[in-house]
Amino acid sequence: MKGFGYLAKEGLKNVWNNRIMSIASVCVLVSCLVLTGAATLFSINVAQVVESVGDSNETTVYLKSDVSRLEAVYIGKDIEKLDNVVSTTFLSKEDALEQYKDELGDELFAQIEDRNTLPDAFVVVMEDLSMYDKTVAEIKNIDGVDSINDHRELAKKLTEISNLINIICVGVVTALMIISIFIIANTIRATMYSRRFEISIMKSVGATDSFVRMPFLIEGVVIGIVSAVVSTGAISLLYESVMSAITGMIPFSYIPLTHVILYVAAAFALAGIVVGFFGSFISIRKYLKKEGNEILGW
Amino acid sequence: MIDFDNISKTYPNGTHALYDVNIHIDKGEFVFIVGSSGAGKSTFLKLIMHEETPTSGEITINGKKISKLKRREIPYLRRHMGIVFQDFRLIDKMNVFDNVAFAMRAVGESAATIKKRVPYVLDLVGLKNKMKDKPSELSGGEQQRVSLARALVNNPEIIVADEPTGNVDPEMSHEIIELLNEINARGTTVLVVTHEHELVREFHQRVITIDHGRVIGDTKDKGVLSDHDVDDDYNDVPHYPDNAVVLPD
Ligand SMILES: Nc1ncnc2c1ncn2[C@@H]1O[C@H](COP(=O)(O)OP(=O)(O)OP(=O)(O)O)[C@@H](O)[C@H]1O
Ligand SMILES: [Mg+2]
Repeated sequence: MKGFGYLAKEGLKNVWNNRIMSIASVCVLVSCLVLTGAATLFSINVAQVVESVGDSNETTVYLKSDVSRLEAVYIGKDIEKLDNVVSTTFLSKEDALEQYKDELGDELFAQIEDRNTLPDAFVVVMEDLSMYDKTVAEIKNIDGVDSINDHRELAKKLTEISNLINIICVGVVTALMIISIFIIANTIRATMYSRRFEISIMKSVGATDSFVRMPFLIEGVVIGIVSAVVSTGAISLLYESVMSAITGMIPFSYIPLTHVILYVAAAFALAGIVVGFFGSFISIRKYLKKEGNEILGW
Repeated sequence: MIDFDNISKTYPNGTHALYDVNIHIDKGEFVFIVGSSGAGKSTFLKLIMHEETPTSGEITINGKKISKLKRREIPYLRRHMGIVFQDFRLIDKMNVFDNVAFAMRAVGESAATIKKRVPYVLDLVGLKNKMKDKPSELSGGEQQRVSLARALVNNPEIIVADEPTGNVDPEMSHEIIELLNEINARGTTVLVVTHEHELVREFHQRVITIDHGRVIGDTKDKGVLSDHDVDDDYNDVPHYPDNAVVLPD
């Protein structure tokens, strides 16, 4: 387009001249994007955990606390005799404590070392996961077995929580998107109003609609891009700190930021541009239909 | 060049601004439009600029029927016209150069062309030494000449001026009409609405009188006589004064 450089400069000037409104628009759009991003990152992390948990054919079988080591050996043999069981590995309560120490750090467990209340357990590997429920029931029937860590229950719970959070997020994000578009539309309307005199002159000398529109579209898109950049920065900062806080409580390996940040940035940029574009487009449309003194409100 | 065929204009609020107007204006004519307040003069110009559309009748400009014009074609119609307002309509925060350049930027002219053309046109209206001044630092007459430069800068075929002398002192009024006359001399069609009968008498050009929405006098129309009547042939013969200004394209 002829004169694009000039129009781009005008668009940037608009953002600056109208900076209070621009900042307000950026803030709303950023909160919208960050929330969407956080919800998405949360659910892909949950999905990954669910997948690794659900797919693992290892099940932990906890023994009653009054079971002696000798009895434990027999229980292990009984479990191994079952059709679907490939192998069993004994995990003593001391081993279990060591494992927790490795995962969560020494300090927390140093004091409870001598009053270790963790149960002894077997890690059981099954062959066919479709027979999981039947095998679990058979193991539960063996004397001395206290409980079975049913990974599927956990996976199901996690998925439910994740779905619930997603539903809430979709609602909140939709509302915020609409608010964002509305705020940007208002920002652009304010700019157009403050530049109505120029607009009327442009139209009277024969500027095309697309030419008149361009600086305002650029203004909207610039607001969108700035919001995307700020949101990407905010998500990066938040993600690492939130994730290390969560893994401090529940150990699991989360998806590293570096694997997803490019997608997040691209999605933010796209969303920012689309919202900015539509926000400005709505308010410009009405304005362009006016002619002469109507533009000036005379 | 401009044809009004049975044009009537009724505003949405029911005001009848023009009734059954038939006017033909040739390329290169200079036309004064006079009439009392509320007669419909501005409406007449707005119809030409396509700021308003007629309620009935057909306007033809440069052989193009206005009613057949698509929305996106309107800007290109306006590029054939330079518009001068009574209140100048200059942008206060821009200097004289930028005010004139604005009209060129709005139609996507290149920076290089603008840099060449704007000083030339400002020279034409006698304001080359005021290029860096803000409109607020200029007299009314000077402001109107900036506005005229802006109307001229895209080299239009028609200049449309609605009371260009309404806000300037009589001496300046004369100078502005003189300038329009010079512009007309190189072939630009000029339409001027004015209240100043002195000027109209002085310049011996075609005069169209509108009253209550009707054309009641046209010095070109032999059937109608008016007190501004002058030699009809004057407008039919191209008349280039010695100091004719020819603008580059
Ligand atoms: N946008 C509008 N809506 C409704 N009525 C209008 C509008 N513009 C003009 N009119 C009316 O149409 C009639 C003609 O107005 P117009 O502006 O053409 O008059 P004019 O001859 O230019 O007057 P003046 O010399 O005072 O400028 C007037 O009665 C006016 O009130
Ligand atoms: Mg008027």
